[in-house]
Amino acid sequence: MANKSDLLAKLRLAIMEGDEEQARESAQECLDAGISPMETVESGLRDGLRRVGEQFELLEVFLPEMIMAAEAGNAVMEVLQPAIQASGQEATSPGTVIIGAAKGDIHTIGKSILAMLLRLAGFEVHDLGEAVAATTFLEKARSLKADIIAISALMTSTMPGQREVVNLLRDVGEREKYRVIVGGAPVTQEWADQIGADGYAETASAGVTLALRLMDS
Amino acid sequence: MIDFFEVIKRALNGPYYSEQDFNIKLLVPKVREVVKEYGIRYDPETPVPDDDQLADDVFQAGLALCEEVGCYCKDTSRVIRFSREEILEALRDAPVNPIFGEGRDRKAMIARRPESAESPYCYLGSGGGVVSSEEVFARLVEGYGRNPLTDSVTCPTLTKINGMDVVAGSPLELLACIRSVELARAALRRAQRPGLPIMNSIATAVTAAGKITGSAFGLRDTDCWVIGFTSPLKVQFERLNEVAYVIARGGQHIGECGEILGGYAGGPEGVAVVVVAYHILSILVLRASVHLTFPMDFRYGCNTSWEIQWPTTVSTQAISRNSHHPVMNLTYTAAGPMTEMCLYEIAAGQIARVASGGHIEYGGTSKAVKADFLTPLEPRFASQVAHASAGLSRAEANELVKTLIPKYKDQLADPPKGLKFQECYDWDSIEPNQEYLDLYGRIKDELAGYGLRIE
Repeated sequence: MANKSDLLAKLRLAIMEGDEEQARESAQECLDAGISPMETVESGLRDGLRRVGEQFELLEVFLPEMIMAAEAGNAVMEVLQPAIQASGQEATSPGTVIIGAAKGDIHTIGKSILAMLLRLAGFEVHDLGEAVAATTFLEKARSLKADIIAISALMTSTMPGQREVVNLLRDVGEREKYRVIVGGAPVTQEWADQIGADGYAETASAGVTLALRLMDS
Repeated sequence: MIDFFEVIKRALNGPYYSEQDFNIKLLVPKVREVVKEYGIRYDPETPVPDDDQLADDVFQAGLALCEEVGCYCKDTSRVIRFSREEILEALRDAPVNPIFGEGRDRKAMIARRPESAESPYCYLGSGGGVVSSEEVFARLVEGYGRNPLTDSVTCPTLTKINGMDVVAGSPLELLACIRSVELARAALRRAQRPGLPIMNSIATAVTAAGKITGSAFGLRDTDCWVIGFTSPLKVQFERLNEVAYVIARGGQHIGECGEILGGYAGGPEGVAVVVVAYHILSILVLRASVHLTFPMDFRYGCNTSWEIQWPTTVSTQAISRNSHHPVMNLTYTAAGPMTEMCLYEIAAGQIARVASGGHIEYGGTSKAVKADFLTPLEPRFASQVAHASAGLSRAEANELVKTLIPKYKDQLADPPKGLKFQECYDWDSIEPNQEYLDLYGRIKDELAGYGLRIE
């Protein structure tokens, strides 16, 4: 019988290759071998996803491979969930993020890449898509109990949509409930400071670092 | 070629796909399939390949992709699809040698081929780069007009009007669009080039309403609009509304696409093939007179990295060898004005693209996103390098690009910001300061040392 590290390595590989069926099978093998579901999540699933994110930064894999890895990760969680519940533990996530492009902005690729990297880093991510109104950010943040609201803008004339979200949260007295992060090509740290956002990241990978830091603070 | 009404009919009635299914179940596997079927392989050692067979294979792969995938309409979730016969007919009937401008500045854009000795058409200015005030806008455009190599201008984006932030979709957008056109036209008159075409219509516009409204305040049918796809291989009714308007006026427009390296198209091979598919869709769906392409490296927000050159040059060669419909490349630099890095980036970009058969748009200094971090000297330098590069062999261009990119590639992640227009130009004369002129002279001398003599 394969040892623990071999089984976790096999699961990691299946995740990295985006092989949903193999990932599901490997997760079951881990459970059958007596590896705790939480260890399977941390050392198999999350580690595999993290490595895919690193490969993406080096242009060794691309957005489709990240999506396939995330889907393989979802399949693994389906296998592990009953065992996690039975153990009385909860799979920990760094937090819940709602993400979208600001009102009027239809550019989504950069935002989608960040959403995917956040998922790979273990966040629960809800992608609201493009041209998202400030009121929609607020309603979704409330209903999904978001920790972080992430807003992208690729045009200077859609950046005010980011400010609108911050202002709306303040006006309804819920500014302190959520961390707001902003990004997009024309967005700067100065702009983030000016509108009262909690953080700014220039790149998708910096966005993940920022989100993790904010959840730790 | 099938008409625009038929395109709209297909946008309304074509096969239904959810957007995610279009991306993942249709596009991604088809890109991989054609890359494999046509044996396309990225060569990381050669940013400017000179392999005609590779270029032709990329074109055929792009044609096959266009036929199999088509164009996704985001408003209807329908795919606009074309048969091979319709695609071939469109390539045969595509607009050729479009003419822009008036009077002394009336000029045709004639499709080039790789290694062509014909000078490229130089579309110069801001590339939609942003400015803080109307005064900076006006001075920049006048500066662009004063460059004798400028064939058409790309104007900046106004971020404020009457001291207020321009908000997309609000009345401020419409008012800023009107102001942009008025300022640009007046600036070109001051530059003594009243006939020079404004080629990016109104960069300030986000909506079709903004662009159409602004155009009524001074744009001519001899100017040009820029109408873009959404990545990957998608279109919106907002943009098709602009197409309908321009066609009805008898005007002309550029079909624009900026595919992302590492996105749904995948790696360099996939990006090259997808750019060819855009070229065909630009003719069929957008009904454009010119195709503009700018593959982007998402890691740096620019397109001067080593890895982005191959898909850019190979797709340009593929198109320029196999289509008489002109193709143009836009360069975005990471670094800002009055930095060595910015000038090296510009030089590498123009050499690679011109030797591959493209015309140039230059105007993306500082990634075109930092307000006022752009001047008329970068597009002037780009046009001089572009003219000097006409007639270079691709092998010569490859060696030059391989010499230039290592000079800045380690700084791409954290590029030098440079100086604002107001800081390195004389405000009244609209001339660069001596320090910037000295730097520009040094880089020109260095390029001459490599064999690229700039007049």
